[in-house]
Amino acid sequence: VEPNATIREIRLMFHKLYPRWYPARQSIKLDPKGKSLRDEEILQHLPVGTTATLYFKDLGPQIGWTTVFLIEYTGPLFIYFLFYFRMPFVYGLDERFTSSPHPVVNLACICHSFHYIKRLIETVFVHRFSHGTMPLRNIVKNCLYYWGFAAWLAYYINHPLYTPPSYGKKQINFAVIMFLLCEAGNFSIHVALSDLRRNGSKTRKIPYPTKNPFTWLFFFVSCPNYTYEVGTWISFTVMTQCVPVGLFTLLCFIQMTIWAKDKHCTYLREFKDYPSLRMPIIPFLL
Amino acid sequence: MAASGSGSSRADNGYGSQQPRRRKGPGALATAYLVIYNVVMTAGWLVIAVGLVRAYLAKGSYHSLYYSIEKPLKFFQTGALLEEYLLIAKYLPGIVPSSVVLTAFQVMSRVFLTWAVTHSVKEVQNEDSVLLFVVAWTITEIIRYSFYTFSLLNHLPYLIKWARYTLFIVLYPMGVSGELLTIYAALPFVRQSGLYSISLPNKYNFSFDYYTFLILVMISYIPIFPQLYFHMLHQRRKVLSHTEEHKKSE
Repeated sequence: VEPNATIREIRLMFHKLYPRWYPARQSIKLDPKGKSLRDEEILQHLPVGTTATLYFKDLGPQIGWTTVFLIEYTGPLFIYFLFYFRMPFVYGLDERFTSSPHPVVNLACICHSFHYIKRLIETVFVHRFSHGTMPLRNIVKNCLYYWGFAAWLAYYINHPLYTPPSYGKKQINFAVIMFLLCEAGNFSIHVALSDLRRNGSKTRKIPYPTKNPFTWLFFFVSCPNYTYEVGTWISFTVMTQCVPVGLFTLLCFIQMTIWAKDKHCTYLREFKDYPSLRMPIIPFLL
Repeated sequence: MAASGSGSSRADNGYGSQQPRRRKGPGALATAYLVIYNVVMTAGWLVIAVGLVRAYLAKGSYHSLYYSIEKPLKFFQTGALLEEYLLIAKYLPGIVPSSVVLTAFQVMSRVFLTWAVTHSVKEVQNEDSVLLFVVAWTITEIIRYSFYTFSLLNHLPYLIKWARYTLFIVLYPMGVSGELLTIYAALPFVRQSGLYSISLPNKYNFSFDYYTFLILVMISYIPIFPQLYFHMLHQRRKVLSHTEEHKKSE
């Protein structure tokens, strides 16, 4: 192996020797307990002598992030329709294919579908992933979570005995406006983040507010995309006034707070001049 | 999920006070608090044990002994929640992450059985199955807490260590049987009274059927109980053979 070989080249060589372990599945480290080396690292820049010992770990079957997202998000989209159109096996034969007298139920279907269609579009056209793949078993876990919750909340919203929100049109309209604003915000952030990596580079850069007012949340928060996402689901909860939606929102909030805190810590570690006013997910608070 | 074994991965010696490798043991003040806590818990469960024996001798039969120890049982079992919180918040040192999940399961299931089943469904309080798990829990907890007490004081009699890692073989299935039978006995009463259940329509658009929930809980024992049991068996082999080696090398 040449001294100026990159880890990526080593991975390809390894793959030729052992066809079973394609590069994405290889974790190559200097130390059995250490972190995996990145593709771009060059052998001679690493702390090794004239001979280097590299440790290999099999990460298990991998699946691309884009594929995962596409499967994860298409599921809820179609599962919701099963309940919206009241398939016979859902609410019983008597209620099959009936429709709800409440306009908010139609609205909820539109919003829910819009949300997942938007996510699918972003996955294909907007997102740039730093890791190419994730372990295969994650997809089972993730799909169970997304699909399961979609089914659970769709069940109640489209139920024949559904009760519309207590404050009627005022509550619904307010919620719809908040929903659209948060979706727009979330989309703006995704575009802004994707622009940071326009030339296909994988290095991290600090995101800054742009001319788009939705991105001004970057002044206060490291991960405004998560902030807006939570906002979207809160709006949806208010719109439907449904406890399962509220529970889903809570879980999303918890999960995204964990991710935001991680991201925030990573930013703080990597950049000495990181803006100090920023909090991970909620301005000034969390 | 009863019987001995909550927090089994807490090394041989309780709160890591003798761990050779990474974590240093708790400081003197923390040790004092922990010793007091464990002594109190041991005493509490002894009270329950004594209460059971006295009630049995007084009544001459083992039916309806639940009432004689109801209050201390609730108190001390719920006290274990505090212990679990301390574990999770990492105020208790030397704990392996996986054991937190296992002990969390145990504590949650015990508290669930104490409050959400036995306390809530009054009709099952006379059942023999209640006695079954109460006895299993009592013996387990007395041994467990005295184990921790002695370990903290660095003076662990082999008998207690042996008891902790051996008696569970019988006590664990005993406790689980008692728990399952109790839940099963509660089912018809829950169905009848609609306990803790809410149905549509309601303004929060939510429904919950406690009866189905209890059945799901019973089913969940099937994957979880064997895992905990074999984990304890594994721990047993590790701990007791380790002691053998120590003895041989002396």
